[in-house]
Amino acid sequence: MTLIKSKRYKCQHIKGHRLKTILAAANCIIPEHAGLSKGGTLDTAGVVDWAIDQMPKELRFQFLLFISVVYVMGFFFGGRPFHKLLYDDQIRELKWMESSPINAFRMGFMGLKSYICMGYFTREQNWTSIHYCGPIVYDQPSPDPVIRQLCQGKIKVQS
Amino acid sequence: MNRHYDIVIIGSGAGGGTVAHSLIPLMKKGLKIAILEQGPHFPHSFFTQREIEMMRLFRYNGAWPVKSGEITIAAGQGVGGSTLMYTGVSFRLPASVADEWNVPGLSIDDLTKRFDRIERDIHVMTPSENMVNDNNRLFKKGCERLGWPLKKIPLNLKNCEQVGFCNLGCTSGSKQGTLEVQLPKAIQHGIDLIPNCEVIHLAEKKIYAKIRKAPPNTLKSKWPPGERTIHSDIIVLAAGSPGSSGLLLKSGFQHHLPQLGRNITLHPAMTLYGVYPKPIVNYRGFPKTFYTDQFTNSFGYFIETAFYYPFVSTRHMGLWGKQLSEIMSSYNQLMTVLILNHDDVRPENRITLDRKGSVQVNYQLTDKVIQSLCHAQIQTSRLFFEAGCDKAIIPFASPPVIHRDQQKKVEQMIHARHFIPIKTPVSSAHPQGGCAMGKNSETSVTNSWGQVHGFPWLYVADASLFPKSAHVNPYLTVMALADRVADKIRNDHT
Repeated sequence: MTLIKSKRYKCQHIKGHRLKTILAAANCIIPEHAGLSKGGTLDTAGVVDWAIDQMPKELRFQFLLFISVVYVMGFFFGGRPFHKLLYDDQIRELKWMESSPINAFRMGFMGLKSYICMGYFTREQNWTSIHYCGPIVYDQPSPDPVIRQLCQGKIKVQS
Repeated sequence: MNRHYDIVIIGSGAGGGTVAHSLIPLMKKGLKIAILEQGPHFPHSFFTQREIEMMRLFRYNGAWPVKSGEITIAAGQGVGGSTLMYTGVSFRLPASVADEWNVPGLSIDDLTKRFDRIERDIHVMTPSENMVNDNNRLFKKGCERLGWPLKKIPLNLKNCEQVGFCNLGCTSGSKQGTLEVQLPKAIQHGIDLIPNCEVIHLAEKKIYAKIRKAPPNTLKSKWPPGERTIHSDIIVLAAGSPGSSGLLLKSGFQHHLPQLGRNITLHPAMTLYGVYPKPIVNYRGFPKTFYTDQFTNSFGYFIETAFYYPFVSTRHMGLWGKQLSEIMSSYNQLMTVLILNHDDVRPENRITLDRKGSVQVNYQLTDKVIQSLCHAQIQTSRLFFEAGCDKAIIPFASPPVIHRDQQKKVEQMIHARHFIPIKTPVSSAHPQGGCAMGKNSETSVTNSWGQVHGFPWLYVADASLFPKSAHVNPYLTVMALADRVADKIRNDHT
């Protein structure tokens, strides 16, 4: 379960080396460009953490394991964990995973990319920079107030 | 707790909803009928037009991967089934496809009569000029410049407010799916609609089910949570493809029905984007009004207009890094089209159970389909540039972003060898087959009335019945076949 106490969201699944890996990967997947800020922020990680919490247990385990694999594989692409690699080496590792001959790497990369894009492009503060006006029924009550507040930036994410 | 009904329908989408509606005369005669739906019953107020909140309208959040991972399937989950989140596209099954199906006892004349009636019931119309948004106007311009036939997509709408969020649930109820038309009428005549009811197992005239608690902001079931055994003289399976086949497999019917789970097709689809030099704001107005069948007979695909929300668009593009940031910063300038391939039945493509007993779809794209998708991407990039786009985002191209000054080289840049399973984004919203209609159990699962061979109390009424691809968006065909199933049940009761 995720925790919300006094307008704070505490990540339950993404912490420690996984948080560092997600933040670094998000900066590679969504780099800063024109009005777009870079993807690797705690706000992105908060939405990803919420989404991981919704996953079936087995899938959640596989996804978290894959994040750890990305972290460890950094040693093969520059002798350090992923988040400490040079940016170009991080890109090289992710590109290798994306086109790897091993299905599990390609699948894992697609999952990682999807969740990072979800964590970024569903947040309202990023809609202005992509020129998206969002819902017409803006104030329709949410079936899940936690994700609404995370996407509206109304609660602070803690690792 | 045990319950008894005369007829139980499992699933409330295009098939189940239509059967329920067509059985109203039997309800008037006093027969007890129930409809069991695995997903929740969403009121209009549930639809918030936010993609992350509305992912729960879809099974597996809209990305159920086939076993190979090459395609992800989007299917609805809730009262209304996939008519909850489709765009209202209501094509009739082409006569040539009905001929190709060659199901003894099923004629296009019979289907046509039903199409006529159902189209009136669900308000199928061709979109008027004031429904055409900028994206659709550009599609029209591109087709006209290329000399391709431009056709209007038939849609089932009533008083559409054109807010553009059809795929996240219709807030106004304008989209005339089963949630709006058939089910309310059936409920008015006394059908028991049970949402959040997962059917675990089927036996002769018996259903084992589990009722779950209604999720927040959804309508409650009249049955409390817990396990139920439901007795029924007739059971109609309308859980969709692959749901209906999956339930029959879980219940052991494969021992009597060797064709169960076979004959599946998916209509492999790709969404392609062009970047127009000015804002076109495709996220307002009605998303789908035009299509072209220029390459249907020659290369096996349609090109339709489309629209998707920001996060889902990033999944379709297959981009990341600088290219993704660049393209997404022009999100309001994106011209969007969908290419829809009509695939062939292959013996290796089938629905099975995995080691844990869960339903899995075994499906691999054939070289023929990959070549067809490649051809479609070459033609679509031409369409984008003729419409005035500066860039085209083409997953089979290397590099995947093609600039206007490269348009003469598209045939060299776009090639089937660039298809990498899983990496290349291919999706399906039209799973079909698994309980194909036919003559006998050696070649099929049901007869042409959807009655399962050897089990006269059991019917199938959804896209699982298709023996081959429908070529077109399948909802109206599902409704017509479901209406036939109801006819058979009604006739047997008189």
